[in-house]
Amino acid sequence: MALVQIGLYHFLVLGTLLFCIGMYGALSRSNAVGILLSIELMLNGVNVILVAFAKYIDTPQELAGQLFAMFIMTVAAAEAAVGLAIILSVYRLRNTIQVDEIDLLKG
Amino acid sequence: MSAADVFVAIAFYVVALAMVGGGLAMVFTRDMVRSALWLVLALGGVAAIYVLLSADFLAVVQILIYVGAIMILMLFAIMLTPNQVDLQSAAPRAQKIGAALTALTIGAISLFAILSHPWNIRAVPLNAPTSERLGVLMMSTYVLPFEIASLLLTAGMIGAIVIAREE
Repeated sequence: MALVQIGLYHFLVLGTLLFCIGMYGALSRSNAVGILLSIELMLNGVNVILVAFAKYIDTPQELAGQLFAMFIMTVAAAEAAVGLAIILSVYRLRNTIQVDEIDLLKG
Repeated sequence: MSAADVFVAIAFYVVALAMVGGGLAMVFTRDMVRSALWLVLALGGVAAIYVLLSADFLAVVQILIYVGAIMILMLFAIMLTPNQVDLQSAAPRAQKIGAALTALTIGAISLFAILSHPWNIRAVPLNAPTSERLGVLMMSTYVLPFEIASLLLTAGMIGAIVIAREE
């Protein structure tokens, strides 16, 4: 019964799962592009939760969750563009994007 | 429980399975191009979830921006950095175990918080077209964040061009 009647909790658990999968990827990958991909998955997990709040939670700020999700998408787009540009120029300089080989600042 | 509820439940579980499967495949695939394509599946699933959450405008934006623009950017970046196959097996085992432990711990804490918090659930879930109201809100209550977001995007794009430009 509780499994068939889809409600707030289903979406919250799904968003949490996506966030955790993305976090595992971001922490275990050694390729910089792979880390960026995982971060996109984490952001999307959060967005799912925000939009679920907009639908199910009783609040005077109607649709605030959906607007938050839109702003997160904007910031994610800017982050992806700048991050990929940095990765490209690092690749040109050092011929690698493995994060454990980019250790110029290591003492 | 009506037939519509059952339909929504089937749609939710199919999409959720595709998303979690796509996410796991993305995290565990070694080949970066395949990894990016698995992420497309997960992000497309998010768009379907937005439809189930009656966020029509966000669903279209998700497909346009994430599945369209951001994934093309990612694929370009992967193909412009050749010979960078992710050797996950070469990554230290301790790092992977630590990553799994961190993700599991944070997931467990979040799930506990979600299930124990008394949510103030509304009687009738939001179920109406949102595009017009989102537009009005963005031009009234949220006009300052909206302008800051446009400024951030402009700065980000100029910055990306400057950083990635060949000398």
